[in-house]
Amino acid sequence: MTENCIISTTDLNLWYQDKHALQSVSMKIPQNKVTALIGPSGCGKSTLLRCFNRLNDLIDHVKITGAITLDQRDIHAPETDVVMLRKKVGMVFQKPNPFPKSIWENVAYGPRVHGIQDKADLDRIVEQSLRHAALWNEVKDRLNDSALGLSGGQQQRLCIARTLAVEPEVILMDEPCSALDPIATAKIENLIEMLKEEYTVIIVTHNMQQAARVSDYTGFMYLGKLIECGKTGQIFEHPAEELTENYITGRFG
Amino acid sequence: MAEKFHTELKELKKETVAMALLGRSMLRDAVDALVRQDEDLAASVVAKKEQIHALEVDLEEHCYRLIALYQPMAKDMRVIVCTLKVITASVRIGRYGKVIANIVKEIAEKPHISHMMSIPHMAELVIDMIDDSIKAYETDSLDIIADFSARDDTIDALRHSTFREGITHMMEDPRTITRCTHYIMVARYLERCGDHACKIAENVHYMHTGERIEIH
Repeated sequence: MTENCIISTTDLNLWYQDKHALQSVSMKIPQNKVTALIGPSGCGKSTLLRCFNRLNDLIDHVKITGAITLDQRDIHAPETDVVMLRKKVGMVFQKPNPFPKSIWENVAYGPRVHGIQDKADLDRIVEQSLRHAALWNEVKDRLNDSALGLSGGQQQRLCIARTLAVEPEVILMDEPCSALDPIATAKIENLIEMLKEEYTVIIVTHNMQQAARVSDYTGFMYLGKLIECGKTGQIFEHPAEELTENYITGRFG
Repeated sequence: MAEKFHTELKELKKETVAMALLGRSMLRDAVDALVRQDEDLAASVVAKKEQIHALEVDLEEHCYRLIALYQPMAKDMRVIVCTLKVITASVRIGRYGKVIANIVKEIAEKPHISHMMSIPHMAELVIDMIDDSIKAYETDSLDIIADFSARDDTIDALRHSTFREGITHMMEDPRTITRCTHYIMVARYLERCGDHACKIAENVHYMHTGERIEIH
């Protein structure tokens, strides 16, 4: 991989008590690219995604060994501020989860937590974030309406806008379209394509066609191991590993 | 779903092999008709034109349907891509058979010159290559196409020798011009059929390994 890499894992292992959920995963995530993680349920792809912003810290009895670096800095180093890490590495979940507040407040929430109080500054950030999330034109006249009144696809784009509002470097997406219809899915996919100009996107998806459509690099995981990672075209045209071949041609999983 | 797709893919391959064998038999019969100056056999080759065209349309549609419905990837995708190329190559081989069959009646009235020079031998070699390329596609085996480059060189050399010999005959006796011109054209068609066998072999290699090669 010749691209600049923003996140890198080396010999990463993770246990949920006795379950060895990630086994010696070493991978590099290139900057300003979309990397997709695919694999059957329970293969560890969401666990790996959650390692990147230390969301697994919130789960009891998790043990992690090996290294993860963001911008060449160890994210498990004692001096790492987890709040700042999660600002740099934002996350969008499977089900849209807007706060039960107005559209404006959903987007302004993060910048406020990080100390921005000026209304004009916040207005600017809200507009910019909603524009980047391709939602501005649909909501600009009802910013004070409840976010819960938006459609599922709009809610998901609002969650993306909320993530963008704190100016992250990396956006993690865990099955961001699995609760959406094909039209809303297409909008999110177009958005991912635009986002990579400014951000690095890592997406977990069950939908292999989606992985093929939106990503530049694809990693295939199986039973906690990263079996193969490479350019998306190569993985879907002629994977190097037979296991990958069998999975993407539907012979198992 | 995957199982249903793979059953359909197997069926597609089987039908494509049958079509490829039809194209091959058109060429085989056309050459036999030419050698034996058998106009009935030649007419039967020409009559198969509609059949091979209908198969081409059917099988291509089958490929498109599988792509649209299943969005195949990796080897599955490569099998379909290769199949589309085999379909095209087989139609071309069949069409050359038809073109050679049309020559039969043009030169049926006079005996052959010099046993048609290298043409019968060349035809055997080309048809062997076609057989091996179809077998490689059917059985996914690369061994039998490993020497295609050398075999293709032999075919090219035979075409060239037919050309030179034909010119010599024509210069010696202008009454042979019609027949020798047809021989030179037939040698050219056979060489093209050999190239189509090479194309099939290249695509079988891609289907099997994912790597592109060029046979020439």
